[in-house]
Amino acid sequence: MERISVTVRLNGRSVVQFDAAAYQRLEAYLAESESLLEGDPDPAEIMNDLEQAIADRCAQRLTPDRPVATLAELDAALDEIGTVQVADAAAASAGAAAATASPASTARPTAPGQPLRQHSQGAVVSGVCLGLARFVGLDAMWVRIVAVVLTLVTGGGAIVVYAALMLLLPFAPLEPGGPPVGWLPAKCRDAIEFLRSRLNGGTVTTS
Amino acid sequence: MDSKLAPIRKGLLEFLVLKIVGARSVYVPDILRTLAETQFATQEGTLYPLLSKLRREDLVQYEWRESGIGPPRKYYRLTGTGRAQLRALDDYWQGINRTIAAIGS
Repeated sequence: MERISVTVRLNGRSVVQFDAAAYQRLEAYLAESESLLEGDPDPAEIMNDLEQAIADRCAQRLTPDRPVATLAELDAALDEIGTVQVADAAAASAGAAAATASPASTARPTAPGQPLRQHSQGAVVSGVCLGLARFVGLDAMWVRIVAVVLTLVTGGGAIVVYAALMLLLPFAPLEPGGPPVGWLPAKCRDAIEFLRSRLNGGTVTTS
Repeated sequence: MDSKLAPIRKGLLEFLVLKIVGARSVYVPDILRTLAETQFATQEGTLYPLLSKLRREDLVQYEWRESGIGPPRKYYRLTGTGRAQLRALDDYWQGINRTIAAIGS
């Protein structure tokens, strides 16, 4: 049997030999890091630094009689280095969205029992239906269909209930990497938070 | 509980890195070692993007130094702007501490 190894020059200067499996893992890690850094103004510098860190940490684990890095050495090195965490908030949301973009992120099946809140992320109007869906553990689509049917049946009466819930239900905190907040949900959230601050301000000044 | 504390640590990491770099010129393993024994233990995957951002904001700069063993190393130190920023953050942090100590007691 012959072990096939790949010689890699990391950061343009440090040469490390990897076996085939480790090389594959290395490529995957670098590709993942690159996609996480999408939106960072200077990804090349960070990628070079990461390559150097990988080379250094693998070199520490290799000896002249065991010169080829296997998955054991590489995984230990990558564990120490960790996944790339983008430092810029704006770039972070862009990179996280690119990295976690899953087709069904808004229709994600949810366990029941979450507190009843409005979810701006992935909402259509203000996130009331999505919040109800998470509360009872249903797909949001069903709650939305019921809401539309109720609106038609009640001649618009359900809209009043929706508006009341918009005013009453707290907003769920935004999850980094979660689905984006649409234009209308963002406007609703702003408007309601403004209203609430006015209402709270009123009670504070009179008390 | 940790989900409430993690954002605080994340927000303070930049301040701590500026403090470490401000104390003496260091390279990344020095920073990792200093933080390893604290609540702020972190990894290259977090630190390199942060240092790159700080450099873009002209708060830190680095120079290459030969290391004797292995490749040359990047040594980071604060710029003038970085030093001013660190002083401002330090003052702000002292202020926050005083507020926290004074409020609700």
